[in-house]
Amino acid sequence: MESFNRRRFLATTGGGLAGILATRIPPARGQQREISYLCWNNFAPNSDKKLAEIGQRFTRDTGIKLRIDHVSHMGPQQAKYAAEVQTQAGHDLVEMRMHFPWLYEPQLVDVSDVVGELEKKYGKALGSSYEGAHVNGVWRAVPQYHGMFVATYREDLFKQAGLKVPDTWEDLYVVGKELKKMGHPVGIPISQNYDSISTAGPVLWSFGGMEVDKDGKMVRINAPATAQMIEWYRKMFRDCMEPEVLSWSDASNNESIQQGKAGWIHNPVSAYIVAKQRKLVTADGINHHRSLAGPHGRHETDTPRHIGIWKFSKNVEASKEWIRYLLGKREVYDEYIMSGDAFNLPTYEKLQDHPVLRTDPKYAALRGEGVQYHTYGWPAPPSDKVQLITNTYLLPNMIAKAVTGTSTKDAMAWAETEMKKILAG
Amino acid sequence: MAVRANEITVPRGRPGAAARVRQWLDGESVLGPVFVTPALLLLLLLVAYPFVMAVYFAMSNAFIGRPSHWVGLRNFIALWDSDIFRQTFQNAFVFTGISVAFKVVLGITLALLLNEQLWFKRMIRGAVLLPWVIPTALSTLGWWWMFNSLYSVVNWTGIAMGLMDPPGPNWLGQKYYAMAAVITVNVWRGLPFFAITILAGLVSIPRELYEAAEADGAGANARFWHVTLPLLKPVLAVVVLFSTIFTFSDFNIVYVLTRGGPITSTHLFATLSRVVGIDTGRIGEGAAISLYLFPLLVFVVWAQLRFVRKQVY
Repeated sequence: MESFNRRRFLATTGGGLAGILATRIPPARGQQREISYLCWNNFAPNSDKKLAEIGQRFTRDTGIKLRIDHVSHMGPQQAKYAAEVQTQAGHDLVEMRMHFPWLYEPQLVDVSDVVGELEKKYGKALGSSYEGAHVNGVWRAVPQYHGMFVATYREDLFKQAGLKVPDTWEDLYVVGKELKKMGHPVGIPISQNYDSISTAGPVLWSFGGMEVDKDGKMVRINAPATAQMIEWYRKMFRDCMEPEVLSWSDASNNESIQQGKAGWIHNPVSAYIVAKQRKLVTADGINHHRSLAGPHGRHETDTPRHIGIWKFSKNVEASKEWIRYLLGKREVYDEYIMSGDAFNLPTYEKLQDHPVLRTDPKYAALRGEGVQYHTYGWPAPPSDKVQLITNTYLLPNMIAKAVTGTSTKDAMAWAETEMKKILAG
Repeated sequence: MAVRANEITVPRGRPGAAARVRQWLDGESVLGPVFVTPALLLLLLLVAYPFVMAVYFAMSNAFIGRPSHWVGLRNFIALWDSDIFRQTFQNAFVFTGISVAFKVVLGITLALLLNEQLWFKRMIRGAVLLPWVIPTALSTLGWWWMFNSLYSVVNWTGIAMGLMDPPGPNWLGQKYYAMAAVITVNVWRGLPFFAITILAGLVSIPRELYEAAEADGAGANARFWHVTLPLLKPVLAVVVLFSTIFTFSDFNIVYVLTRGGPITSTHLFATLSRVVGIDTGRIGEGAAISLYLFPLLVFVVWAQLRFVRKQVY
């Protein structure tokens, strides 16, 4: 074999470099497009595996290299996003939840073109996704999927005790009393977590109340509707629940029903999915029904997710290509949704009766749902102020104060003062 | 081997330029700053810059990723209107005061025990350090599991031993219990630092002083109050100083155990600052929360260090 001496090496590399400089075209490797995508650890782990698989196919089909990173959604996610924005460096795409597109509005690329294409194909994005990602007339993130809050209950216990499946929050109080007597209390967290808000919001709306008005300017929490809602919580806490709900985390109500304690919880279908995957004895007895109504109708909430592209990304077009590949190709989007086992549901109108809902009869309650769902803080338009009201857990804290001894009037006055301070700030 | 004088070449005339530069560099006025500069740069970069940025943020309406404006002390003043902040302020003092008091008393007790002739002394001393060695977030997760309302090991044990009535206290769901829980974990976590540092102080006390006190008829109590404690004062002052600062700024324990709940009854400056500054993007307000006690802590540091200096013999 011919030896590769220093002189030959210099001649080859020098010649090559001169050639590149002369043509003024970077070498192929330098032209390879590469994007990075930061998303959360999905509650349905198979969904993350599928995403990685789709990512590999995307690279093969388009030549765009994709790196997918995951981060836990409670805590590290927001710190990571804040750090990326402050340093103007990091990932190209990020998965967003709640009102993130509003918080990071000036930092996000306008993706109205991509959403327009998706809506043309799949119908309008659902209300909750619109509320979360459509910021001041511009789509700042692309609606990806959502997870609905429905009622998860122990159908076997209900049948055993001859209990009627509730349709209203008042019905729940009636069956809740019986469930507690049976040693299977209702599990609604009243603590500093998002599940607490996900129930408190719909209950408040169903009683005709709101935190802030639809203009986002006036605090409306101190109202007769709120008092009614608090009274409902007070009697639920006393007669249907255990004091442990005051310290629950987002996972506690799931764990409670999976372990066989709770008889009814308000949650997306993740409790059932996990029970089924882990082959827990409670899995067979669990079923779902739609979220409950109050004197002012049925109002529900969910957890919409979106994909945003940072403005500091050097690969905006390649990033859009990835979104189009994942969400815009029906067969790929279906494949992705199916992997989430009905936890991640399509967030476009024409896809509401998705095949994933027919994979298990216990997803029947989800069919046709989602259209009327809202994000936290509704009817106020999302903003950093509404986000702070949410993040400081004023709604569940107001309820927690009331159920632990503070008068309804004082609890409402406390929440009103805190909310007014935030709106004024 | 001896060197004869005529073998040494003595340079004649003015030294060369290189030699002059070498000579200039060797001078203390130049060499000193050259050696100190890297350390100074590191301090400026890693300590001064973030601190100045934090002060700037605290005095601005900074919001993540948006232009900010100077607002002076407005954030600090506005915070006081919030019941949540006032509650946090109170929590910080209760949490720090009780935790540090427990750590002092238990730390001295543990150090005295470790100073005795024990079997497996080295192993025990090593084991005492464990809570301090394990990452806080990880060990606190263990405590969270022990206090968990659904499967509390603490309650299970208490009930099994007949110390509690079923179902036992709702540790993380009632405000006084929740504060007790976070204080317990903080004391558990900080105790090794106290015990080992105080032990180092104890070891350095000359045995002769105890022998002299014993000869004068002093009992164990008198020896502790009149020999051990006075000589431990400088060490204690430093340990208490450090611990006070660390405890005031604690984050992990509360964040993992209670996230500031129930009803903000365990929020500390760091956890509230995180909620406002990071989760909501209001960096200015968040920075103001985290720096709120800075002037007070500066005073505490100054007073404590002054005290320590006075104690040096």
